[in-house]
Amino acid sequence: MQNATLVALSGQVALRRKLDVIANNVANMDTAGFKRVSLDFEETTMPKASATLFQRRDRDNRFVRELSTVHDFSAGSVEMTGNDLDVAIEGENGFFVVNTPAGERYTRAGDFAIDNTGRLVTSDGKPVLGDGGEIVFGSEETNISFAHDGTVSSSAGLKGKLRIADFPDTSVLSKQGDNLYSASAAPQVPTYIRVRQGALEKSNVSGVQELTAMMDVQRAYERITNMVKQQNDLSSKAIERLGSVNA
Amino acid sequence: MKALTIAATGMKAQETNVSVISNNIANMRTTGYKSQRANFQDLLYQTLRRQGSTTSDAGTQVPAGVQLGSGVRVVATPRNMTQGDPESTGNDKDLAIRGEGFFEITLPDGRTAYTRDGAFELDSTGTLVTADGYTVQPAITVPNNASDLTISNTGQVQAKIGNATTATVLGQIELSRFVNKNGLEPMGDNLFLETASSGTAQTGNPGDAGYGTLLQSYLESSNVESVNELSSLISAQRAYEMNSRIITAADEMSQTTASLGK
Repeated sequence: MQNATLVALSGQVALRRKLDVIANNVANMDTAGFKRVSLDFEETTMPKASATLFQRRDRDNRFVRELSTVHDFSAGSVEMTGNDLDVAIEGENGFFVVNTPAGERYTRAGDFAIDNTGRLVTSDGKPVLGDGGEIVFGSEETNISFAHDGTVSSSAGLKGKLRIADFPDTSVLSKQGDNLYSASAAPQVPTYIRVRQGALEKSNVSGVQELTAMMDVQRAYERITNMVKQQNDLSSKAIERLGSVNA
Repeated sequence: MKALTIAATGMKAQETNVSVISNNIANMRTTGYKSQRANFQDLLYQTLRRQGSTTSDAGTQVPAGVQLGSGVRVVATPRNMTQGDPESTGNDKDLAIRGEGFFEITLPDGRTAYTRDGAFELDSTGTLVTADGYTVQPAITVPNNASDLTISNTGQVQAKIGNATTATVLGQIELSRFVNKNGLEPMGDNLFLETASSGTAQTGNPGDAGYGTLLQSYLESSNVESVNELSSLISAQRAYEMNSRIITAADEMSQTTASLGK
């Protein structure tokens, strides 16, 4: 009978994790290029240690545990900002390639800037890579423009082309924080790409969806707690009844 | 429960967002003001189950692992350096820059600051100064008996002295530009200071390659778009509310658990 409490506990732990994931989605509602994450659960069966000798065999206990966090890579809404250094990738495929001390990382956040050496960098200063390495602007250059195919030019002419990485299997990507993804497989060159200057991809988190999920979690949690309560009552009643001695 | 702290990072980030937006709105009518924006990044992820790890002797792998995020942070508040609309003022000492560049200003403590605000005046000695009385570099002195002050779009300052029939050249206004304008440090009073991340200032005349041109009797109005700011304000407020709902939910869930012991 105590198993019911344990199964309930596994459910509660999982639901708390789920709320953490929802909280992270909501916190990143305004993060450029953020992709919402959902948590999937799996059922784990645990054979019981004993009691298999009865004629009607006890059923195995089934616990819940988290199986995977699934990234929803659908495109976020694109907001026109008018800022020359904001670039959005249209559609859901393709990532900008960013150079970090730990190696190449990938991002959908196109809120770029220029650093003191004239390099095109992300908003925290990591260089954005083009087909021929870093994209560097001279100090006298104006009219920076990104063509639809990712070609970068300025008043001094052609400066390179944004490197876009494509991952047909997005499950190789994992989130690193700082709007970056790392990949366990090499990226491919996309067949078709369209970038838009002066626009920024917002996160694809939908407030309604997250709040509904949150309420679901909350109610499920309450139901499980009630169940635990009933189990407790049951045990205490059993102890009371069976333990009372009629003199 | 982590959800509490995660939602708290969300609320803090939205608070910063709202203060950036309110500063933009407050400076809607500030000459040469450039609107700012809060850029967000997600925080570190905790990996509970790594994707790609082997699940059996047959070499099957975990297709998608379990990664829990830990919230959001404000990473930068870059300025949108687009051109503000030039507004006619009729004052012959007002200057607007069309295109790249900043006016160079000497502060009373000797440091050099940069500004897009060209609302200049003459001080008691006839020197061209900002509204705060700081000298515009290179210093230009307009004599007492000068009339018809003209500043060309390439920055040449001319005036008629006394009864002269032709104009005398009084000086040349220069512009400074930076590799990374967003790296300039705002010091208030419409002024910016050079920093390591902005790169050093390069000086040139208006109209040179890469530099903007001047427009006399005009001021550059701020580039704040009120509609954009108000819609961002609304969405920031909603995001704040949703984060607070998560906190309530996490709190209620803890309460449910706490009530078990009763």
